Amino acid sequence: MNIREIRSDRIGESYYEIDHPTGLKIFVYPKEGYNSTYAIFGTHYGSIHNSFRKDHSDVISVPDGIAHFLEHKLFECEEGDAFARFAKTGANANAYTSFDKTCYLFSCTDHFEESFEILLDFVTKPYFTDETVQKEQGIIGQEIKMYDDSPEWCCMFNMLSKMYEHHPVRIDIAGTVDSIAKITPDYLYSCYNTFYNLNNMVLCVVGKVDVDTVLSIADRMLKKSKDSTVESFFEEEPKGVSDSFVEQKMPVGLPLFNFGFKESSERLLSTEEIAYTDILLVMLASQNSPMYRDLLDSGLINSSFAHEFFEGDGFAVTIFSGESRKPEEAAEMIKDYVRKAHEEGLSKEDFEIAKRAVYGENLSAFNSVAAIANTMVDHYFSDREIYAYLEAVANAEFTDIQDRLSKMMNEEYAVLSVVRS
Amino acid sequence: MKQLTSEKLLDGIRFHSVSEDRFKTTRLSVVFYVPLEARTVSKYALLSRILIRTCEKYPDFTALSKKLSALYGASLSADCFKVGDRLGILFSVSGIDDRYALDNECISKELSELMCEILFKPKVSSSAFDEEELIQSKRELIDLIDSELNEKRIYALQRANEIMCEGEAFATSRLGTGSGAESVTAEELYQAWRDMISTAVIEIFYIGESSPAFSKDTFKSFFFEAQRTPVSLSNTVVRTADRVKTAEEEMELSQSKMILGFRCDCAEPEENVTAFRLMVAVLGGTAHSKLFNNVREKLSLCYYCAARFNRQKGIMTVDSGVETANIEKAKEAILNEIKAIQDGDVTDFELESAKMSVINSFNEMNDTAASIEGWYLSQMFDGRIYTADELSEKISSVTKEEIITASKKLTLDTVYVLKGVMKEDEE
Repeated sequence: MNIREIRSDRIGESYYEIDHPTGLKIFVYPKEGYNSTYAIFGTHYGSIHNSFRKDHSDVISVPDGIAHFLEHKLFECEEGDAFARFAKTGANANAYTSFDKTCYLFSCTDHFEESFEILLDFVTKPYFTDETVQKEQGIIGQEIKMYDDSPEWCCMFNMLSKMYEHHPVRIDIAGTVDSIAKITPDYLYSCYNTFYNLNNMVLCVVGKVDVDTVLSIADRMLKKSKDSTVESFFEEEPKGVSDSFVEQKMPVGLPLFNFGFKESSERLLSTEEIAYTDILLVMLASQNSPMYRDLLDSGLINSSFAHEFFEGDGFAVTIFSGESRKPEEAAEMIKDYVRKAHEEGLSKEDFEIAKRAVYGENLSAFNSVAAIANTMVDHYFSDREIYAYLEAVANAEFTDIQDRLSKMMNEEYAVLSVVRS
Repeated sequence: MKQLTSEKLLDGIRFHSVSEDRFKTTRLSVVFYVPLEARTVSKYALLSRILIRTCEKYPDFTALSKKLSALYGASLSADCFKVGDRLGILFSVSGIDDRYALDNECISKELSELMCEILFKPKVSSSAFDEEELIQSKRELIDLIDSELNEKRIYALQRANEIMCEGEAFATSRLGTGSGAESVTAEELYQAWRDMISTAVIEIFYIGESSPAFSKDTFKSFFFEAQRTPVSLSNTVVRTADRVKTAEEEMELSQSKMILGFRCDCAEPEENVTAFRLMVAVLGGTAHSKLFNNVREKLSLCYYCAARFNRQKGIMTVDSGVETANIEKAKEAILNEIKAIQDGDVTDFELESAKMSVINSFNEMNDTAASIEGWYLSQMFDGRIYTADELSEKISSVTKEEIITASKKLTLDTVYVLKGVMKEDEE
């Protein structure tokens, strides 16, 4: 078994990267002096993986929302609900599904070994029957309705649906009441058997923990997964957007907007490129940027204004979002500032300040076992690394950021989504 | 848990510090407690906005933001919250620890100085706040108040609280109302700022690796000059409900929200508060509580259904997201679970798992600076301060009988429903 220690002299910490014989990648990050331990077991499988094949067999298409449905169902084992098992150890367990991953996690301050066994056990033991699938359709139907009432959620998906004509990133992660009605135990097993292969997964444990404890339990609980190839298919996506504006009416106290740019997504960004993107967006849109100031002084945004870049297989998006009484004017102003940055270049002074801010914020994230564990999983599935990211921020040069800008935020591919009463 | 060191700085002002080398950051917070009143709440809410926008030294929003970014993305924030009938106005600044500065700056000292600039030297002239700053702060606050409607769960909880506590100070929203904010003048706000500095009960928290001595001395000299006469803060508890109030509002939503509000006949600093906390956890505080297991999982009636306890006011609320057609059924199911506890239906498993879950959350609290601060802040009016270990021990010793006794004290006060109605097709 290959165990490597990865060190950061900058923050004086280290973690262990382990290639487990079962095919699973394991990270163990001990945090001196912490009470709690946070463990995540994740698979590189999310809502966008709706069309796939295993080992060159036939392509299978499955109903929207199935990855999230599977997440819910996995909590149920033959011997009962995993929540009830965690209840006996006092751990706080949860799970989430995103566009491209599904993660199961718990945090605890005591009885780590027992909780860790439960986690490894229930994630590797699927149990789906017609009856349990039917029952879950009721609960998830309620969850979908709750999202339907969330203006933030609707605003983002409306935008994505105008950016992407075919790519499943346009569809709500939980699917629709109709799509989940089509889910059967057979579909669930075929998704499970394809994506819950340990070679496609990662395990990350952070906090009060050591390598030996993790390995002794993993060695005992996990069985080697057969090497297999998984291919996901996405319909060809046009470069452009289908519409530059979308609006939905629902009861809100204040209109909301998402103003986004569809970005090139031929490949995932490198660790450095992500670091430069983060610095760039802070330069453009953080509280001390001229754009923020102008938007605020013009009464077009409030402190809810935020920016974000996210990407995955076949999609990449830069989003500026917030509440505004005049969302169209806010988007126009953002567009003007982005255009100006492209045409006139960026400010070196803004760069120095933004670099410090991004450095400080990311350093602070090492306070939290949950933040470390979740970030490591994200990085792993994107082939990036947590310390390398911090170094890339600390070593970023002004020209790197300018270069990054030249490849982003083309206004031809912008979409404004508004939700108002 | 590291020891909290507390010291009285001046009359009505305490300075608390926790020496921690585990974190990459230093966190400094100042909380002003004033009586919660509809008459003054808007002014204090506005102060929480205006004071973190600018100050005399950084008279412009961008200048202050740049200063924070240059301090390695230090964060400055302010918020208002209620502790019973008291309003807390919290100002926090957090930045990376001195050890990690790229150019060896003393960041902790700068954070303390910045906090004092913001609190004691705002951008004011001739006994009034700057008009332009006031306009912007009002807009931000009114946006914040209006946007609370966007999150229906929070909106429903607020409406239920207003209805349940009508006539009590606690019915007042922590941010006041839009019209209240609109009517505040620059002079009134200046006076409110003076009042806050000179009359509030103040708690200062410092959590970090570097020494708090500089911070303590700086605050002491500023507050000394303020010539303080601290106000006395009171709290009322309505012990039981004599009738059930019901209220319903309609909104275009696919899911309805239902809130049940109960009076508990038990509040801080009474001894049985601990048993009550555990009873609420058994009922609906965890992912294996009675409400979660039975109302959500077994009956599929709600996507969420949780109980919480306001131990200062002696109020328990159960909030749920429910399909409109199932509102009555869900209400009945929730009341049945309470009845079950009253009838003694509490298994050893339910009791033990609730204890473990509650104790686990106490212990996890100790791993972030903000939650350590929150832990102590929530106890400032309880007459004594427990560490996580002390309170865990008290939770451990609660018996099933004590839980049953606690549950029998509940009386239903208010049923509030935000009823989802489907939109008439426009097309």
